Amino acid sequence: MNTSTSTDRPTMPINAPDLDLLRRYEPVIRFTKGEQFYPTDVERYVKESSLWAHYPDGRDELLVKQDDLTLESLVEQRPAVFGTVHYLRFIETLSLSESAQVLANQLRLRSILKNNFHAGVGRLARGGLLPRMADALFTISFLLRGRVPAASAAAAELDYFHMRAQKDNFVYYGRVVRQNDWVALQYWFFYCYNSWRSGFGGVNDHESDWEMITIYLYEGDEGLLKPEWVAYASHDFHGDDLRRRWDDASQLDLADGHPIVYAGAGSHASYFRPGEYQAEVHLDLPSWVNSAHQAWNKFWTNALGQQPVDPFRIPFVDYARGDGMSLGPGQSKAWTPVVIDESTPWVSQYRGLWGLFAKDPISGENAPAGPMYNRDGSPRGSWYDPLGFAGLDKVPPPDDTLRLLVKNSAEITTHQAQLESMIPEKAGALQALGIKLKSMEKNPHLAKQHAALEKKMAPMIEEVRGLRREYSENMAILEGLKERIEREKSGMGDDPRAHIRHLAMPVTTRRRRFDRAAEAWAAVSLSLLLFGIVGLVFFAPNFLWVGLAIITLLFVVTESILRGAFIQTIGQITALLAVISAIILVVHFWFWLLMAALVGIAVFLLAQRLRELTG
Amino acid sequence: MKRRKKVWTRKRPIAVTIVAWGIFILFLIRLYQVIEPLIREGVFEHGITGPLFMGMRLTPLGNALLISATYLFLSLAGIVVLIGFLRVHRWAWLVLMSWTGFSLAITLISYFYGHPNYIVMASDTIIAFALNQADVQRIFRIRTDQGEHININ
Repeated sequence: MNTSTSTDRPTMPINAPDLDLLRRYEPVIRFTKGEQFYPTDVERYVKESSLWAHYPDGRDELLVKQDDLTLESLVEQRPAVFGTVHYLRFIETLSLSESAQVLANQLRLRSILKNNFHAGVGRLARGGLLPRMADALFTISFLLRGRVPAASAAAAELDYFHMRAQKDNFVYYGRVVRQNDWVALQYWFFYCYNSWRSGFGGVNDHESDWEMITIYLYEGDEGLLKPEWVAYASHDFHGDDLRRRWDDASQLDLADGHPIVYAGAGSHASYFRPGEYQAEVHLDLPSWVNSAHQAWNKFWTNALGQQPVDPFRIPFVDYARGDGMSLGPGQSKAWTPVVIDESTPWVSQYRGLWGLFAKDPISGENAPAGPMYNRDGSPRGSWYDPLGFAGLDKVPPPDDTLRLLVKNSAEITTHQAQLESMIPEKAGALQALGIKLKSMEKNPHLAKQHAALEKKMAPMIEEVRGLRREYSENMAILEGLKERIEREKSGMGDDPRAHIRHLAMPVTTRRRRFDRAAEAWAAVSLSLLLFGIVGLVFFAPNFLWVGLAIITLLFVVTESILRGAFIQTIGQITALLAVISAIILVVHFWFWLLMAALVGIAVFLLAQRLRELTG
Repeated sequence: MKRRKKVWTRKRPIAVTIVAWGIFILFLIRLYQVIEPLIREGVFEHGITGPLFMGMRLTPLGNALLISATYLFLSLAGIVVLIGFLRVHRWAWLVLMSWTGFSLAITLISYFYGHPNYIVMASDTIIAFALNQADVQRIFRIRTDQGEHININ
């Protein structure tokens, strides 16, 4: 099936069953080559998992072992003390020899399936030396934070392969919600594992993964439902930024009336356009470091005119190329739909995590909870407020727009008429009091009455001023409404992207002259720098600081040449050296500089005054 | 009547003039440094009379000639850069900025090893800040007109 950019809106009867609605608009998901996990059914996953409880005293307890766990036993009531975390475990702890075996089997499987991922220009080459240092710190932080064990991804890949060998089943969990004249179709996708870090150099790994997209329909002519908006859950984007209009052909690909989702490799995040997306992780630093960094950047950009520097931003790439397996209507693999709602027991009654609780304090490596809940067991916003999730709570369906505009306009017009009669009346009363006030002036015996009347008039003056302001503002609003009504009547549509503040766009992957060298350099530079420092300490300790300065300079210049930023780097280095020199000069010659400044001010003032005198 | 071609001229920023004067003064100093060793060795009076090398080492005369030649090269290079700078060539900005950065690095290393040269440090600092001015960078096409980005190639 070809990708179409048609703006056709397939319709469905308003009273169509939920399953039919879901099937009519179900998405096509295009994965990246090398992806190992696809949307699957929770039943088989639960059967392959064990259920655990982690208690506040740090103890973990096995509640139901693998093969005994079912969706029915999962939702049984299990009273526990505050702070207890219930979680599933898809992969049991592996010994060293088991890990080695699993990793070897993973390599064999990939070579048989020929499903290998090629990163191309990797994320390391997309950031400079400073972000790479921060990245090294982030990697080292995994030694201190809780994390999913290294071989888990490989074991999960093998287990999932066996599950597929038994039954190749691709499931979405569909839900239909009717809110504020909108019909929201939610499609939830469950993956056994998120292998973004281990498989694709991303931020995190975790057992199980829940992803979701929503399609928003409205009742059009003749009682037919029409699609208007599509929202994909994605990293770092919220509200209005998540949704695209059905007819926005440059942003939304359709395949015979089905929206196409480009899934991030390993992360399974949903994207509207194929490509590689740069996700950024900011290191969680003490507030004083952030304040110092902000102050430096302000000085660096405002006073020195340089580009801002952010060494605490680590670039990660989410590969959503769409060059791998394609899943959905008309594709090589089809969906098995399952309708869910609050009455589905495993959806509403299991509040625990759907995979390993890795005890990661920043949660990146902990498994997610189900579609209805957050990790802490609180209700998930996208579940109870599907309109607010995509910023649609303030947007009426298209066919209601004109009616609401006319209603608004009529209300304001009526209020304006009231203001038109009220303002002269109040202003007249104010004028009468004003005359009275004037007549009291220059009569010392009326001072008290004058003050009292003045006090009485003050709020009246404010009120008249406020009414006039309101009248003027309403006129402007009416103008806007009138214009808007005209546009609606003439059928002129809005810019489909007017609501988006931050548009997720794939980064350009154009080849540069030194791409290969830049990639190799990015991979080895930090280690080389550390080797160089160790070498200096041992072999040339007398020249440690000079050597360090020279090595750093060499690294920075090499980096800038490979990244095509030589001129920019030269400017930045020189500016930095000039700042250091300026500080040294101020420290040594502050007295003379102060005197020179005073003499300068004196000469300036003298010149100004003399000009005034002679002019 | 044939319309005259409109000639657009942009006013040269004051920082460019300051830097240009700086290069010119540096040229005069270098010129002095070219002549001084030759005077010291009496080359203008007697010509090159002695040997330049003694075995593998330079004689005082050879040393003076080498120093003089180096400074001659530097002063000529300075003049070429000055011409490029006044004609607002991009490469001139880059050469000058690189040279200033290099000189600042050497001066700072000397400072931290107890051999400060405050005059060079001050003049390099002034030149670095002058070259970093937004309008200077714009006129040399280092920065785009929006003032947000610096060209990277």
